[in-house]
Amino acid sequence: MAEPEVTAQPVKKPKRPLPKSRLMVNEQTTGVYAAAYEAKKRGEPVGWSTAIFPQEICETFDIPVLYPENNAASVSAKHMGEQFISHAEGAMRYPINICSYARLNIGMADVIGNPEFQADPMLPRPDFLLIVNNSCTQLMKWYEALARMFDIPLFFIDCLFNYYEEEPAPHRIKYLRSQIENYIKNMEKFLGRKFDWDRFLEVQKISQRNRELFNEIVALNERKPAPMSGFDLFNYMAPLVICRGKASTTAILEQLKKEVLEHIANNTSTFPAEEKYRVHWEGIACWPNLGFTLKTLKNYNVNAVMNGYVTAWDIAYEPGDLDGMAKAYQTSSTNSLSTPTIMGKRIDSIKHFGCDGMLCHVNRSCKLMTFHIHVGREMVEEQCGVPCANFDGDQSDTRVFNEAQYETRVQGLVEIMEENKKKQKQEV
Amino acid sequence: MLTLGLDIGSTSCKAVVLRDGCKILAETVIPLGTGTVGARQAFDGALAEAGIGFDAIGRTCVTGYGRFTFKEADEQKSELSCHAKGMHFVYPDARTIIDIGGQDVKVLSLGKNGALANFVMNDKCAAGTGRFLDVMARVLNVKVEELGDLDAQAQEVVSISSTCTVFAESEVISKLSSNVRIPDLTAGIHASVAKRVAGLVFRAGLVEKVAMSGGVALNKGVVRALKKELKTDILVHPDCQLTGALGAALYAFDDLPGGKKPA
Repeated sequence: MAEPEVTAQPVKKPKRPLPKSRLMVNEQTTGVYAAAYEAKKRGEPVGWSTAIFPQEICETFDIPVLYPENNAASVSAKHMGEQFISHAEGAMRYPINICSYARLNIGMADVIGNPEFQADPMLPRPDFLLIVNNSCTQLMKWYEALARMFDIPLFFIDCLFNYYEEEPAPHRIKYLRSQIENYIKNMEKFLGRKFDWDRFLEVQKISQRNRELFNEIVALNERKPAPMSGFDLFNYMAPLVICRGKASTTAILEQLKKEVLEHIANNTSTFPAEEKYRVHWEGIACWPNLGFTLKTLKNYNVNAVMNGYVTAWDIAYEPGDLDGMAKAYQTSSTNSLSTPTIMGKRIDSIKHFGCDGMLCHVNRSCKLMTFHIHVGREMVEEQCGVPCANFDGDQSDTRVFNEAQYETRVQGLVEIMEENKKKQKQEV
Repeated sequence: MLTLGLDIGSTSCKAVVLRDGCKILAETVIPLGTGTVGARQAFDGALAEAGIGFDAIGRTCVTGYGRFTFKEADEQKSELSCHAKGMHFVYPDARTIIDIGGQDVKVLSLGKNGALANFVMNDKCAAGTGRFLDVMARVLNVKVEELGDLDAQAQEVVSISSTCTVFAESEVISKLSSNVRIPDLTAGIHASVAKRVAGLVFRAGLVEKVAMSGGVALNKGVVRALKKELKTDILVHPDCQLTGALGAALYAFDDLPGGKKPA
């Protein structure tokens, strides 16, 4: 009898172990969702909030709040988002033209408790909603739909768009501050307990410490070569989004800063290839294609050392200064700023980080963020003298991004950057 | 020294054999795109036309959508840089290159040295691409190569308002059923392509001279409509379809081991 043919199975390349700071992020996220589910079991209220809401207030009340935008990003990155988007477009009849975070979240909201739909993490049913329109105007309709769907209260803070004002005028700050104060009163009524202003001050202090730490870490990537793959910033954004006022975030960011400083001391980097080119990434990540977009950049030795998206949670104010806090929430998201102001920030960033080019994600879902790019790239090209390339994609909808199109544009950008470097060498 | 450039496009494959970075020895165009035998046929055809074997080639550079799939390649470059290089070779004064490919439209801005300085491409939509013209030719029941001659017979330009390929197809069908003349419809289709492409040219910044590469440049109707939209002349070389492959062959020459050999 012939012996069975023995074939050698290729050994799977082991994954690099996650650094301690990443494990801490994962643990924190798991803990936040677990706490929300526990609160639900106890019959206590759980909120859903837009991403750049004054989280300090619910943190002071010590009630769990989860963030659908963050959840949509996470679920999309794990390739679990399509089922909810399909449900929203199909059974619920939402149009493809609205934001894919909204479609994903509304789809998920409709099937909570339905075992046919699984995701990690799945949001629990909310008892109240928090919305501030400083990053997007579509959020209002999205949250109104949720409020009707769940028949729950919606606490709304209205931010004004900052046209050509460097600083918001005093009446605008007063408008926002009065809404924050009113919101605190309404939450007191809703929860049936008083707001603790002393604890509020402590939460503000923690939030500011976390913001400062994150900024310090981001600034470390100015070093050439950068100690971090710029895409890491997308991962470490989560603690700032969902736990900006928590001490656990301070611990994560202190650990991350330590790791980054170690990379600098050892001349190592989390970017998995030689860094020949540094680019500024414009726009939200293409979450469902995070792996491909990073791998392609790696293959061309391009580190997207910085991006404009992660600075949206840089909400700077003096603890105790409610006017300052109001102003910070009015201006922190670049989506509430005029094109010259946004692009001015990007231009400064490109210069600080020594970028050789800019790669712009034309995000079908985020029109606000994307429309600046078409004019903005010209401003960058003129003022920084670096080339820009656009590619089409989406933050959650998998039907928009095309691998070949992305790679061609990255390669074209690299070839121009290479030519520019040769020219610079010749001039020297 | 001989080099070979191969452009594996989405709808056709082109190859050029170049001697000493300046003389074209052979060129082939196969109307089959990536994933078919087109690349192999273009490659073998160019070698046969030059009367040489592959061992006579010093270096091979591959470009186009299928550029990662050809095993004989010594290097691969984006079609953006290859079209820029190839066009600079045939038209050294050209500063703006329009390349209408099978599934994308590129507008390339060239520096004085001919190097690619910037580029703008169509978004995720086939309107204004070669595929758009393929679809329209099928609806009109004519060959895509005949569109240019039909356009010349137009008495008026019938407006096609839809930019989406699928909707434009329905619009053309509807106009056909209303007995609109095919040449007039063809001119309308070309005007629609030209409007779309001109938008990209203006976005990139029109710097004269303007030249066109890619197979669609052979369609005189598109070129005429585009000249009208851009209000400028457009240079079209008889080998416009081969400029990507030519650029690749030039890159292969530049990157020969030991540096570029004298021509």
